[in-house]
Amino acid sequence: MKRTGLLYDERFLKHLTGANHPEVPERLTAIYDGIRTRGLLDHLQVFPAQSAPRMWIETVHDRDYVDRFETACQDGSRTFESPDNQMCAETFEVALLAVGGILDVADRIVAGEIDNAFCAVRPPGHHAEKAKAMGFCYFNNVAVAATYLQTQWLIERVAIIDFDVHHGNGTQAIFEDDPTVFYYSIHQHPSFAYPGTGRAFEDGVQRGVGYTCNTTVLPGQGDDFYREAVEKDLRPAMTRFRPQVIIVSTGFDAHADDDMADVALSTAGYVWMIEEIMKLADTFADGKLISVLEGGYCLERLPELAADHVQALLQI
Amino acid sequence: MFISKSMTSKVITTHPRATLLEARDLLKAHNIRHLPVLGDDGRLAGIITDRDIRSALPAAFYRDDCPPPEGADFTQVTVGDVMTPDPMAISPQDTIEDALLQIQKMRVGAFPVVDDDGFLKGIISVRDLLRAFINVLGIEEPGTLLGIVVEEKVGQLKKIVDAITEENISFGSILVSRHWEADKRAVFAYLLTNSVGRIKRKLKELGFKLLDPMEWAMDRLPRHE
Repeated sequence: MKRTGLLYDERFLKHLTGANHPEVPERLTAIYDGIRTRGLLDHLQVFPAQSAPRMWIETVHDRDYVDRFETACQDGSRTFESPDNQMCAETFEVALLAVGGILDVADRIVAGEIDNAFCAVRPPGHHAEKAKAMGFCYFNNVAVAATYLQTQWLIERVAIIDFDVHHGNGTQAIFEDDPTVFYYSIHQHPSFAYPGTGRAFEDGVQRGVGYTCNTTVLPGQGDDFYREAVEKDLRPAMTRFRPQVIIVSTGFDAHADDDMADVALSTAGYVWMIEEIMKLADTFADGKLISVLEGGYCLERLPELAADHVQALLQI
Repeated sequence: MFISKSMTSKVITTHPRATLLEARDLLKAHNIRHLPVLGDDGRLAGIITDRDIRSALPAAFYRDDCPPPEGADFTQVTVGDVMTPDPMAISPQDTIEDALLQIQKMRVGAFPVVDDDGFLKGIISVRDLLRAFINVLGIEEPGTLLGIVVEEKVGQLKKIVDAITEENISFGSILVSRHWEADKRAVFAYLLTNSVGRIKRKLKELGFKLLDPMEWAMDRLPRHE
C-alpha cells in the first residue's frame, strides 16, 4: 500500500462557469463522492488548498498576463480571453488555490511524507500557455508544479504524462525547448479534436528536440491502442529520460461515455494506464507521482473513474 | 483571394549569363527551388529549378560545395542554356483558385507572377498555396472539427449555423463538400471551442447525422474526370 494524498477543497467549487458549460463544480463533487463512497477517505491523507504565491505562478506565466486575469475577475468579466473561458469573480482566487495546493502536495512528496497524490482541482490547466488562457484553463497547474520542483527542490528531470483526451498545448509550448522536462501526451488526433495541436511530428524544438512526444488516437480507438502506445512510445521515452518525479495530467474525458471527444477508453483501461505510469514512477522516481485533474465531463462516470484512480494510487 | 496578396514578393532571381553553379548556390542559400530568370530589360526571360540544375550537373557535384575539377567544362554552362524560356506565368490579378487549378494541371511547383508588361512581381509556389489553405481552414487557431451529414436541400446549412450560433460558438471555418451518397452533403464546421458535447447532442436532436471521421474518405467520393 502506498501513502497517498488527496488534494480537495470546497473552495474549488466557487469557480462558476455559467449555464451550459461542461466544466462545472459538479465534476468535482462527483469525483469526491466517488472516492468517499468507495470508502477510500480513511486511507488517504486529505489536504486543503492554500493560495500560491504569485512568484511561483510567474515562473511560468507572464506578469502582465496574471495581472490581466486578476483585473478581469475584479471587473466582473464573465469570460477571459476566449469565449470558452467562462468565469466569475472568484475564479482568479480559485486558480491560485489550485496551483498552491499542488505545490503543497509537491513539498510533501519531496519530503517523503507521502508517496503520491491525486489533486482534484479546478480550474484545469494544460491548455493554458505562458500568456494565454484557453480551453477552460487559466494557470498551467502542472507546468508551475514542474518548474517549482526544479527551482525549489533542485530536481533535475521531471516528466509530465498527459492522458487527457485533448492535447496539452500549453504544457507543450512551455517546455518544448527544455530538455529537463519531458512532455508525453496521448490524445485524440488533432484533426478531430480540440485544440488541433499535438501532431505526432511535434517532438520539441531547439535543445528540447526529443523531449516532447505525442501519440495521436483516432476516433473509436481505445484500450488496445493505449496499451500499444505505452509499450511503443511512453515506456521507451521514460527509460531514456529517467524522470525523478512524474506529474500526470489526468483527464477522464477519453472515456467511451464522455461526449467531449470520440476516444473509447474503458474504465478498466483507465486503471491500467495509471498502474503503468506508477510502474514507471517506481522504476525511475522512487514512486514519486503527482496526478493532477484536467478534463473529464461525464458526471455519471466520474465517481467510479476517480475512485478507481485513487484506489490504484493507494495500491489497495 | 488574389495572387498579389498571397505571393512571395521579394523574389530571388538570376540572369541568363549566370553559371549553373551560381544558380545552385543561390537556391541552397535561400532554401528555395525556383529561380526566375530576368533578361537585360528586366523582363521575365525564363525559370530554372533545382531539378533543371540537378539534371545538368553530375550528381555528386550538385550536392557538394566542392570546387570545380580542373578543365571541367560544365562549370561554364549557363542558366540561359538550361532554363525553361518563356515559362507559364500568372498575373497578380489572378486568384488563388486559378493558381491551385493550374498548378495541378501543369504539374509544376511554382509560377512566376508577371504584370501585363512582362515584369516580375513575385512568385507563387505550392508552399504559398499551402499557407493560404491552412488560413482558409483556420486550423492554426484552437478549435474542434465537426463533420455533419445533411440532405441536399435548401436551408440545411442555415439550421446548422443557427444552432451553433445559439451556443455562442464562433466559426474558424465552414466547408461544404460532396458526399458519396448523391443526395447528401457533408458540412465541416471548424468551431473555435473545446465545448462540443452540447452542440453535438443538439445537432443530433435536430435530426442531423454526425459524420464518423473514420468513415470519411475522400476516395469514396465520385471522381470528376
